Amino acid sequence: MRVRKRLSAVAVALVAALVATGCGGSGSGGSGKTTVTMWIYPVIVDEAKHRAHWDETVKAFQSANSNIEVKTEVFPWANRDQALATAIAGNKGPDVVYLIPDQLPKYARNIEPVDKYLDDAAKSDYHENLTKSVSIDGKMMGAPILTSAATPICNKKVFAAVGETTYPTSWNDLLTLAPKFKAKGYDIAAYPGDSKQTLNQTFYPLLWSAGGDVFSPDGTSVAFNSDAGKKALTFVKQLVDGGYVDKSLITNVPSIEQTRIGQNKVGCVWHVPVAEVEKLWGKENIQAVPHLTDVKQIGYGTVGSLSMLKGAKNKEAAGKWIAFATNAENTKKYDLASNFFSPRKSTGTLYAGDPVLSVQEQQVATSTVGPLHEKARDVQGVLFPEIQAALLGKKSVEQALDDAAKAAAPLLR
Amino acid sequence: MVALPESQVRRPRRPGSEVRRLRRPSAREAGTALLFVLPFLLLFAIFRFTPAIAGVILGFTDYTIGGDTSWAGLENFRRLIDDPTFWSALRVTVLFTALSVPLSMLASLGMALLTRRAFRGAKLFRSIFFLPVVTSLVLAGVVFTWVFADGGPWSRAMGALGLPAGSWLADSALVVPALVLVSVWSRFGYGMLILLARLQDIPAELEEAALTDGASAWQRFRYVTLPQLRPALFFVAIIETTVSFQVFDMIYVMTGGGPVRSSYSLVYLLYDQGFKYFDLGYASAVGVALFVMTIVVALIQRLTLGREE
Amino acid sequence: MTDTITPPAAAAPATERPRRAWRPYRADRAGRGWVIGRTALLLAGAVLTLFPFYAMVVLSLKPTGPVTFPDSLLPWPFSTEAYDQVIGAKSVLRWMGNTLVYSVVSVVGVLLFASMAGYAFAKKRFPGKETMFWSFLAMLMVPYHVTMIPTFIIISELNGVDTYWGMIVPTLANAQAVFLMRQFIASLPDSLFEAARLDGCSEWRVYVSIVLPLIKPILATLGVFVFLWHWNDFLWPLIVGQSLDMRTLTTGIASLQQENVPLNMLLAGSVVAFVPIFMAYLIGQRYFQEGVSTTGIKG
Repeated sequence: MRVRKRLSAVAVALVAALVATGCGGSGSGGSGKTTVTMWIYPVIVDEAKHRAHWDETVKAFQSANSNIEVKTEVFPWANRDQALATAIAGNKGPDVVYLIPDQLPKYARNIEPVDKYLDDAAKSDYHENLTKSVSIDGKMMGAPILTSAATPICNKKVFAAVGETTYPTSWNDLLTLAPKFKAKGYDIAAYPGDSKQTLNQTFYPLLWSAGGDVFSPDGTSVAFNSDAGKKALTFVKQLVDGGYVDKSLITNVPSIEQTRIGQNKVGCVWHVPVAEVEKLWGKENIQAVPHLTDVKQIGYGTVGSLSMLKGAKNKEAAGKWIAFATNAENTKKYDLASNFFSPRKSTGTLYAGDPVLSVQEQQVATSTVGPLHEKARDVQGVLFPEIQAALLGKKSVEQALDDAAKAAAPLLR
Repeated sequence: MVALPESQVRRPRRPGSEVRRLRRPSAREAGTALLFVLPFLLLFAIFRFTPAIAGVILGFTDYTIGGDTSWAGLENFRRLIDDPTFWSALRVTVLFTALSVPLSMLASLGMALLTRRAFRGAKLFRSIFFLPVVTSLVLAGVVFTWVFADGGPWSRAMGALGLPAGSWLADSALVVPALVLVSVWSRFGYGMLILLARLQDIPAELEEAALTDGASAWQRFRYVTLPQLRPALFFVAIIETTVSFQVFDMIYVMTGGGPVRSSYSLVYLLYDQGFKYFDLGYASAVGVALFVMTIVVALIQRLTLGREE
Repeated sequence: MTDTITPPAAAAPATERPRRAWRPYRADRAGRGWVIGRTALLLAGAVLTLFPFYAMVVLSLKPTGPVTFPDSLLPWPFSTEAYDQVIGAKSVLRWMGNTLVYSVVSVVGVLLFASMAGYAFAKKRFPGKETMFWSFLAMLMVPYHVTMIPTFIIISELNGVDTYWGMIVPTLANAQAVFLMRQFIASLPDSLFEAARLDGCSEWRVYVSIVLPLIKPILATLGVFVFLWHWNDFLWPLIVGQSLDMRTLTTGIASLQQENVPLNMLLAGSVVAFVPIFMAYLIGQRYFQEGVSTTGIKG
């Protein structure tokens, strides 16, 4: 029977896994070889493909540097700061690690700038704004390998069902379209508010385009309770109170196929990567639109870079590896496999032929990487429950933002 | 210290009989004995004893992983008292415990009384009721997230009964009751077995005598069975309280502490402070608060429930 | 982790404590009404208890897509796609291997060290014995979460984060196990050991060939529970086993859930994690149930 077969397959695999784990952990016996360890996260969603990419890259690297061993370890996105910070504290950190800009300030004192390990041609190949977003005090804290632009994506099927043909360009357009969608049983948008979401992709884009920011310019206080912040939160609250978005996502975000987004009931979302809805909407039904505008046109986009830690055992070797892994050719391969965009000029546009990704690719310039502040993540932790409280009607918008600012103050001391 | 009631389990014989106690152990005997204890002793000293002391001391320091350590005096506790998040976590934890312990004990008692006698299927029922006890709360949490989802079984059932429908996990007033239900589901089989063991030790003659005297079923339960069960109930109450105070796994999976921190428990606060923000001193202060709370409640329970022992 | 619970006073060997046979007696012959009522209540209880398991299995065997109630509780459409994905594209088997290592090694370690110590505490005299024993007991009062942070600091100082030993070794200091062992061994007659000693057996021989065989019942009971605790343990592996390769089933499934993988995959992973403990429960049911009712060991 099928089931039995499957079970025995499980048993066999189990034993295999046991054997594999039992024999692991004996990697460091080489003679005269140095080992570079790199921590990476599931940038390419398919785990097997992801490991294959790095295996190939390592092999290519070793054909020129046979004395350097490279060990890549994949960590889950969830709790990644916990893993990294504790490892660094215990002197067990990796030599090289994948970081995004809003993590850089937190680890700045543990990072070895990469400037001197990259040649000038490579450095000048980066888009200037990207170089800036990975630099602290004028030093590059990492070598960018990818960039993204989390622009809104809209569901053509839903727009067709509602009989709407123009896609929104501003946040206000969403409010104008909302009643029409509601009348036909659709939601214009979605706002996920649970602890798993990063505000970078939910609330902050609204805040930025309303002209606000998370921190004050000098970084000593928060600024999200400004008028712009109130405006942004009021906007979301209007969507919620009007019944234009699914209220349950504010507190609990289930797997996407269980949500109205996955069930083709939502017009536009700005927190969801294209890859996640491809299967559910159909690739041909995805319409990417440029970042929405309020006071200004801006949205979130990230820069992924490989950074070297100060504790690296062999800095030369680690530097060589970073330079190789992030060279134009490997960057291009990695970005194409992961549907991200290239931080380099020389690679040109990667997705000119792709109707969705080409739109997002053009928006890289209007994307921001989020607040570069040591406590950026901690502040999110105190802000998101207050946003929930406002959206659920437990507090007024002003009260919620002020309470969050109060709770954030001790973090910034 | 909590113990199964004396009558329920045999009192252990004191190690070493009266006569031999007078003789001093030979150095050799003591030596080999120490060798037998040594491995455990070392493990215990390093991974239980030291951490228990250090855990309390850390509460009085400013300790950040990767940063410097400095003495903070009562600063962490002062901060705790000023922290609304701490008070709300305390409230959530107490509310959860106050609801889940009695409810799960009630379910334990009910099922123990129902499966008490030998009849066809009694054993099967007992096995079924114990199954959730061996199931990880992470797995339970995954399934129950769906059970409580908007439009899921629970919200439909509640809607049909005219009670609040919609997702209980998304409602700040109903999220704790929802978690309590999961906890009762997961725990009642344990209490049931403890109570069953005790029920079977009640002499049949007692109840039969009451029956001959014309006592009703309720009277027999109230005046014969319940007093006999009291020590076992006390034991279950202590265990369940301790477990409830430490609730974390299912909250982590089901709600992440939300909505608006209405299911954010003390252990969750400790985890966040310790391993998300790496403020280990403050996290330890939360641990000390948890410690004090456990002792206070154990004392109260001993004075009330266990007073006749 | 495990021994957070205050121990019950004693574990008496089953032989010493004959259980009264379950027998119906007069008070039960209360009539059909009671039997029907009881059966109805029990059936209702059983259905409520088993429903989540049913839902877990049946929803894991669905193609990826929206789940609706009650339609989705029917066994069709049937698809094993979630299992293919969760076993193929995710590291579930690796996590199962980790969980097995964590559980099995810990069972062996806890049983070995606890039985050795328990034997000495029960049958030997040595200086400091009472102090040690009471300090073990006193430590059981300290909630696990207070000790967790310093334990983590110690493990990270010893470079044990993200390693098997770092995950396993602290859990071997299980005072509750020593306590149960001591109670059990203390109840065995001294004469058994004396005879062997007079025959000139070394202490280690006595332990291996006399003590171990005699304490099989408590080894089995305790072993089953230590296995269960580790299999289902969450917070400690969450903190110590950080890379994808060092996750256990519980922490791995929690991380899948945080990644928002489709529900059928999440449940398929849960089923894979549940099957081994379910098998263990079916086989070792007696030990689970008797363990609780005779020793009050935490479930």
